[in-house]
Amino acid sequence: MELILQQLPIVIRSLNMGFLQTLKLFFVTLLGAFPLGLIIAFGSMSRFRPLSGLTKCVVWVVRGTPLMIQMLIIYYFPGLVLKNPIWGGGESGRFLAASVSFILNYACYFSEIYRGGIQSVPVGQEEAGLVLGMTKRQIFFRVTLLQMIKRIVPPMSNEIITLVKDTSLARIIALQEIIWAGQAFMKGSQGISGAIWPLFFTMVYYLIFNGLLTILLGRLEAKLNYFR
Amino acid sequence: MKKKMTALLMVSVMAASLMACGGKSADSSAAAPADSAVSAPASTAAPASEAASVPAASEAAEAESDLAYVQQKGKLVVGITDFEPMDYRGEDGDWIGFDADMAKAFGESLGVEVEFVEIDWDNKILELDGKTIDCVWNGMTLTDEVTSAMECSNPYFNNAQVVILPSDVAEDYESVEDLADLTFAVESGSAGEAVIADLEYDYIPVKAQSDALMEVAAGTSDAAVIDLLMAMAMTGEDTSYEDLTYTIELNSEEYGVGFRKGSDLAAVLDEYFAAAYEDGTMAEIAEEYGIDAEAALIEQ
Repeated sequence: MELILQQLPIVIRSLNMGFLQTLKLFFVTLLGAFPLGLIIAFGSMSRFRPLSGLTKCVVWVVRGTPLMIQMLIIYYFPGLVLKNPIWGGGESGRFLAASVSFILNYACYFSEIYRGGIQSVPVGQEEAGLVLGMTKRQIFFRVTLLQMIKRIVPPMSNEIITLVKDTSLARIIALQEIIWAGQAFMKGSQGISGAIWPLFFTMVYYLIFNGLLTILLGRLEAKLNYFR
Repeated sequence: MKKKMTALLMVSVMAASLMACGGKSADSSAAAPADSAVSAPASTAAPASEAASVPAASEAAEAESDLAYVQQKGKLVVGITDFEPMDYRGEDGDWIGFDADMAKAFGESLGVEVEFVEIDWDNKILELDGKTIDCVWNGMTLTDEVTSAMECSNPYFNNAQVVILPSDVAEDYESVEDLADLTFAVESGSAGEAVIADLEYDYIPVKAQSDALMEVAAGTSDAAVIDLLMAMAMTGEDTSYEDLTYTIELNSEEYGVGFRKGSDLAAVLDEYFAAAYEDGTMAEIAEEYGIDAEAALIEQ
């Protein structure tokens, strides 16, 4: 116990650094995947068959294969096969490659949630809009969008919380997020070795952050209740 | 009918995308022979003296590959793991250690900056070939797998694979034969695994050497096989594993630095090692990290 107290500051400092990477990846993914998901949703709802077919195909591949493999391919494929290491070897390159993989992956999941949200708005409203002489664009932004946002908050919350934990997959391309930082003490790092508790301790970070997110998303949901 | 159409469309899109990928690699492989085809007639048409210079030219092109590549970008990216006392973070968070300091000195001799990148050890060859790192310099045991996949420097450091046992039973095992009934934990893909597999003893591959130690500490395995260097640092008094000790040396092995296959940097490093060994720089750095230079360093 005494030993743990002695090691605690070192471990916390290291885990903090790791968690910063986790947070960075988390926010960058959300920032990228929110708009990209909407674009993909429009693609898959398009009446133009080749476009909707292609989008659905992409969504199928991205959702149907493990994110871990996608990340390995996105990071190593350019250098290994195309002989053009576009990402570079440093930490920033790894982060960029991880971000791209996560944004693509999550945008595909989000797109299906968006699609569900948009299609759950009764067709009658669109028809009413058309009768009033609104353009499709106006109908989407003034009638459908807000109702969609309200309806997708619960399923989105699910994905967002999953995303927090999924960021740990980025360690496969050696992005030093919090799990990597915790696991380093098992092998030996900064004079601490064979310690498994730092790895378990990372759970505290996830729990607290997800707790905060749950509260925030709950509030958002309550705020959006005015439609009822 | 509609469904069939969609299915057909999806299949054709997939096929097209697959072919697009295939097309690219076919292009690049087709480009290479085309180039040589262009140069071949030129050399046959040229007088004999010029034809003789062709191999030299291709050699120059090869020499250009890695040393020039690194010097041109001004940076040597060194792939490492956190491995005291070879590469680890010092108080201020910078990478230090015997290997790290040697790498910095080598970078200086090339006139390039050295960047350390922590990698997943399983992916080291991928990282090298994908040019995300330029070398693996992390107390790497020169096994057949390593030397066949990388261009390796001369060995510079002695290590051994040792058996880890709980201290209270260690005395019962005096020879390799005594170990036959034990179940071992070894790092998957490590030199230790190769030794135990050769002996045909029971073993469980685990993710890391530290996991192997933990298996013995937890009693889930009877013994482990790990690097001597690591065993010295992690077992015995004042360590995390006070109840464990290292006993029999199963084999001795040597550390080397790995570069991309065919890289000219390995030869450059060999020259540097020879100079650094000669003038005592190597021994000096070794002593700094508590390494017995006399026993550990290999004459260059």
